[in-house]
Amino acid sequence: MNATREAGYLPALLLTVAWLGGVRIAGRIALVPPPLFALVLGLLLLGVLVKSGALAPDRLMHPSRPALANVNGLVVIVATFFASAQVFNLITPEAGLPRLVCNLFLLVLLFNTQAASPDRVRVLRSLMVIVGFAFVMKFIVLAALSDPAGGTLKRVLLVMLEGLTLGTLTQAPFHPATGYVAFFTIVMFLIALALLPSRDRFSAGDIRSTTPAITNGR
Amino acid sequence: MHERTVRALGLVGALAYAAFIGWLYIRQPQSVAEVTGGLTASIGAYRIDPQAFDDGLRFFRRDQFPEARGALERADPAEQDARTQFYIAYSYYRQGWGRLYQDDALFARGLERVTKAIALAPNGRLVVDDAELQMRSADELKAELEAGLRTDVSDLNPLRVFGHRK
Repeated sequence: MNATREAGYLPALLLTVAWLGGVRIAGRIALVPPPLFALVLGLLLLGVLVKSGALAPDRLMHPSRPALANVNGLVVIVATFFASAQVFNLITPEAGLPRLVCNLFLLVLLFNTQAASPDRVRVLRSLMVIVGFAFVMKFIVLAALSDPAGGTLKRVLLVMLEGLTLGTLTQAPFHPATGYVAFFTIVMFLIALALLPSRDRFSAGDIRSTTPAITNGR
Repeated sequence: MHERTVRALGLVGALAYAAFIGWLYIRQPQSVAEVTGGLTASIGAYRIDPQAFDDGLRFFRRDQFPEARGALERADPAEQDARTQFYIAYSYYRQGWGRLYQDDALFARGLERVTKAIALAPNGRLVVDDAELQMRSADELKAELEAGLRTDVSDLNPLRVFGHRK
């Protein structure tokens, strides 16, 4: 794997996701650390990524690699875990019934994905759908329902949810900038996951760095 | 560039970036001034604006509390100086104090500031050498603000009207 990617922009991308995943802009800017459940989901996602081959830990940490390269690999793995936890923190509604339902939904989906043992491409696609759907629910649907001023979308949703008590659904309103930050954070996260060293994508550089004797013709 | 150099630079950069993010989550700064002030304070290089501080103190002694806070906040934009935060808290106390009732909103803000001042002070101990003040330690001020915010039977004591502002 390219050293610049492994030591440079992959940790930078993942750490930025871990940072921006906690940003909530309301009256003030708050940085929300991941709750315990998000850490559990992050760990499960890490398991799914490894099982599907989207993340090959042996390409990041291996006895044949130099110590410095292994430390770089460790940074990538730890950063992937925190970025995953913060993305789950980001897409989960802040309180109430939607939070509970979303957490259960994500937990079941991750277990289901792990049980299905899909390949890397399918996992990344599935993750894009899960994260995208949760983003739309939180930052568009629930945000519209929680908007005190109300809008066309809120009126449409109120008609659709006729008979339901909105008190169980509404969330503390955020500044619209939160949604934009969340969107770019999610995009960055998906790009970072696609860039992770995978099991099925060995480059010439990787073979050269792990087996120097062959490439040097000895 | 040599691969080893790239890896070493990347590692140092990633660790520094992770430490910065951790610091942001702990300190929760609200502005760029707070970020830069907090970082300079962490290496002991933070200085308040002495001119603005003196202006704030002058307003404070003339009982012009909003003006005093304006100047003191200008003196310590990063909210990193314990003494300045103490005076800001004291200004909330003096402005909110009343013979018949205390202004809870101002007292609450004062409590927030004095708690910050205590957190910033070395070992949490802050004593201000100012003969004009009747409460010179942050602990006294904090206790007074907390007592003002508390609702109990002593609030109904008619002798409260003879109390005095510290």
